[in-house]
Amino acid sequence: MEQQNVLVIGAGVAGMEASLILAEAGLNVHLVEKESLIGGQTIKFEEVYPNMECATCMIAPQQQDVLQNDRINVSLLSKVQSVEGSAGNFKVQVKKKARYVSLINCIGCGACYEPCPVSLGNAFEERMSQKKAIAVACPGALPNAPAIDPEACLRLNGKKKDCSACQEACGFDAIDFSQKDETVELNVGAIIVATGFDQFDVSTLPQYGYGKHPNVYTAMEFERLYAQNGPTEGELTLRQDKPIKSVGIIHCVGRKQEGYCSGVCCMYSMKFAYFIKDKVPDADIHEFHTDLCIPGKSHQKFYNELKDKGVHFCRFEDIKVSGQNGNLQVRSTNSDGKEKSTDTDMVILSPALTPPPDAEILAKSLGIPQDSTGFFSTQNQKLNPIDSEKEGIYVIGCAEGPKDISESVSQAEAAAGRVLSFLQ
Amino acid sequence: MEKKFKPNIVGFLCNWCSYAGADLAGSSKTQVDPSLSVIRVMCSSRVNSNLILSSLLWGADGVLVAGCHPGDCHYEQGNYYARRRFALLKKITKILNLEPDRIQLSWISASEGKRYAEIVNQFARDITKKGPNPLTRNSQT
Amino acid sequence: MNKNIGVYVCECGPNIPERIDVDKVVQEMSSMDEVKTVKKFNLMCSNDGKKFLKEEIEKQKLSHVVVAACSPKDHEKTFMSVCQESGLNPYLFQLVNIREQCAWMIPDKEEATSKAVKYIRAGIHRVLYHNPLKKKEIEINTDVLVIGGGLSGIEAALSLAGPKRKVHIIEKTDSLGGMAADLSQVLPHQGSKMDLIKKKVEQLESSEFVNINTFSQVKEVRGFLGNFEAVINTHSGNGGVEEKEIKIGAVIVATGFNLFDLKKNPIYGYGEADNVLNATEFEDMINSEKILLKSGKKPKSVALVHCAGRKEQGYCSKVCCLYNLKFAHYLRDHHPDIEVKELVIDWCLPHKQDQSYFEEAKDKGVDFIRMDELLKTKSTGDQIQIEFKTNDKSHSVSVDMAVVAPAMVPSEDTTKLADILNIPLDKSGFFKELHEMLDPVSTPMEGIYLTGCALGPKNIHESLTQSHATSGKIFSTLVPGRKIEPEVKVSEIKEDLCTGCQTCLSVCFYGAITTDSFKGVSVVNEAICRGCGNCVGSCPSGAIRSKHFTYPQLYQEVLDALR
Repeated sequence: MEQQNVLVIGAGVAGMEASLILAEAGLNVHLVEKESLIGGQTIKFEEVYPNMECATCMIAPQQQDVLQNDRINVSLLSKVQSVEGSAGNFKVQVKKKARYVSLINCIGCGACYEPCPVSLGNAFEERMSQKKAIAVACPGALPNAPAIDPEACLRLNGKKKDCSACQEACGFDAIDFSQKDETVELNVGAIIVATGFDQFDVSTLPQYGYGKHPNVYTAMEFERLYAQNGPTEGELTLRQDKPIKSVGIIHCVGRKQEGYCSGVCCMYSMKFAYFIKDKVPDADIHEFHTDLCIPGKSHQKFYNELKDKGVHFCRFEDIKVSGQNGNLQVRSTNSDGKEKSTDTDMVILSPALTPPPDAEILAKSLGIPQDSTGFFSTQNQKLNPIDSEKEGIYVIGCAEGPKDISESVSQAEAAAGRVLSFLQ
Repeated sequence: MEKKFKPNIVGFLCNWCSYAGADLAGSSKTQVDPSLSVIRVMCSSRVNSNLILSSLLWGADGVLVAGCHPGDCHYEQGNYYARRRFALLKKITKILNLEPDRIQLSWISASEGKRYAEIVNQFARDITKKGPNPLTRNSQT
Repeated sequence: MNKNIGVYVCECGPNIPERIDVDKVVQEMSSMDEVKTVKKFNLMCSNDGKKFLKEEIEKQKLSHVVVAACSPKDHEKTFMSVCQESGLNPYLFQLVNIREQCAWMIPDKEEATSKAVKYIRAGIHRVLYHNPLKKKEIEINTDVLVIGGGLSGIEAALSLAGPKRKVHIIEKTDSLGGMAADLSQVLPHQGSKMDLIKKKVEQLESSEFVNINTFSQVKEVRGFLGNFEAVINTHSGNGGVEEKEIKIGAVIVATGFNLFDLKKNPIYGYGEADNVLNATEFEDMINSEKILLKSGKKPKSVALVHCAGRKEQGYCSKVCCLYNLKFAHYLRDHHPDIEVKELVIDWCLPHKQDQSYFEEAKDKGVDFIRMDELLKTKSTGDQIQIEFKTNDKSHSVSVDMAVVAPAMVPSEDTTKLADILNIPLDKSGFFKELHEMLDPVSTPMEGIYLTGCALGPKNIHESLTQSHATSGKIFSTLVPGRKIEPEVKVSEIKEDLCTGCQTCLSVCFYGAITTDSFKGVSVVNEAICRGCGNCVGSCPSGAIRSKHFTYPQLYQEVLDALR
């Protein structure tokens, strides 16, 4: 390999792990992340199964290591535009959006949020809370510095060109409206794709009542609702406020439509039951599942534990959510065609994991194919499970297909292994 | 003579979870009772009876030890050892004629800034209610 | 040593002065004996601030530095490297957190100020007890020992072996290839060509950087990352055992799995009823291309029974659903006259391509039957009757042949090997990873890694991936020509106080402490110790010191907290 540089796309748990290993081995890593913070989806979780570990505690040291490592060059708000060349010598164009906040000057005090006149839904919090046009995604975000949303900011979108509320509040000269989007060219020997996943859009399936009934939540909404650093500081306050006496958790939402099982939803759905039992011990919890896919060596114990705690498990063939005045009804039909109706105050939908929306564009830029599911395909047939069809490009984590953190990390370490083996 | 009693509390926080939780409480600008002074250790398992008893004997009105939640220990099992040692120490405090509820072990994760504040504030209230450490009550004027 | 402490209070722009009277803090500190200079600075972490600190250390000839600023999580490393650059040992520095844990959490300015004074005073008293700790360097061996010659072991060896890294692979049987080599075919989207595995074996056998030891087992492994010694026993043809010792830098455990013994539970009918086979026996039938009953006749119907041993073992083995589907496909493709009934509890098809494989089997006319629980398998004349429960009702099917898919269980040497390597097992009896989520191929013993089914049931792809993961770990920690720098803030034993009770040995999760049996005292291996201080907490005679978190250092903090 001519260049001892590697590009890692995506700074989630997989991208970070691959970067850290390569950096430790002495390579230079360009870590490109589309968001304004690193950590990916994992940092949205309060706790992760099966050991119910605090995700922040687990990931924060890794995030710090990435940010403090001299060999890792992190580009935030950045996307890969085009890739030319071949293994050993790729030329990559990266488009880096302006943050309008200097990461060198900003110390993360947060004095700029308050004076900002614009509020908008916080996408990190699944729009369950508001943030200002200048803000961090959540308390504890790393790097601990806000970014300005140019579409919302009055000065940048042209609605009030002389607004400088944040600039005036900043004591560190950190706000810089003169920053421009820029394109950077990188020369790298190998590319690791760790672009993660998205969630199946549950509003496309009216039978689940999402959007119609306020107390029907998606899994990610529930993760944030439960999170200590989330919009309700971990209080399970429903959109249509009422005490939680009964909850229905519905698995496999979108499995049929997507044509695959996502492998992780059964476990995280059960994690939700665990969460709710913890906060509302008397609540009746119903897990509506089809196949219980719990393949980890410690996962079935988790299931047995929940059964012992009185969580109800109900297998369905068909399911429908209806409601009136905030009371929700889950009607499930079993394999014998028998229908059962369950009254609940809250329904949580566990949707399939899907490829991120820009996977297609990235596939084209990288020149690697997607498979029928839309995830990037790898040389499975040749027993090279993380090698893309193009030499020197590796696909890891959920970019390759739905999987849990453990498998994503294994693949990240494996990609580093592939690159380093190639170099030796 | 009865001036409003403000306790002196020593808080041993593990570096990985609880200290980070305390930091988060600060960066979220959560109000935390100033009677607790934080001492950072790498792991709650480092905090043994020597440190806790010395603190009490030297006049601490309360001692809080905080570590990662069970299963979350950065060193895998340190907090379990801390828990066992703590349970033992609680028994010994009675023998030594110290009040066992002047010492507390809590689990605080890195994302629990709010919980950190709640635990510290509650502990400070409890200790304030108990009054000064009897070991020092007479020696102080 | 002359003590010249420099104390610097960072204002962090407006953040600290807003809530703390910085001038008052400076004034209070100036009156302390050991303090040579106290200054405030607007923003210490800025380039100007770092330059300022560097000049101060050099100009004032400081022996110790205290900076009162933000959390150590933010800038401890920053200021330590300034000290280093200025020629001051970075451990003669203390960062005092007066932002997050003082200014930002105490609204009353007077209270916050006196708290800051308290904290900084503690920092000053503490830093006086600091020792100039030094980094050490340890020479390393970069060779690797791979235990287990199955697919996982082969892949790891192939990835690692090279001109600068020799790999020793040991296999207890006569040949490499393991369980995967016996399969009739690997699953469709997992590569259908078995010759790929054969090719890998050939590649390994022809590599000059690989040393293959068949009929061999590990007898002993000592040492630590970069410096292991292993004793290997090789059985020679005449019943003798040859013993040799090798030096390596890392060990990979790739000992694979066994199959659940179906005879353990009579409900599977295995060994009782004729024509009840386990999955490997059926693989053999496929290999021989003869699907025949004991009577020599061809079966008219075959039942594929899932999840044997799942309940007994307490976990789902993940791969059985898919290989059962493989059997179903095979039967429908090659023996369309045989009726296939598949008895399923839960479909565990977590890979993105699995479900379409299932749909295809459905289209080929496989009869999928959902069971909640298997009750009994018995022979009724020529047929096998399988009874099961679904939706609280009993059902049964009768077939000519039943193929039962047994769970994957730990291989028989697992416990013994765990003992030799001093690494833990999990509740299911497989090797336990250091961290199930974030460190899935490491063990508490740094330098000993795990891959494949030795860790738990997994498919071929996952096993291969883990093998590459272990190689990634080894490539990055054992770099030829580089030395390793162990953690500096480790534990240390004061021999004259150590009674040799060995309590510390039992609490150390990483196996960093051993006994010097000649002196009768404990010894810390600094290359392994991670510095948690658990041993210090456990030591009844106070003989262990955890560097940078010593009793005197912490006591100073306690005393100032109470002042």
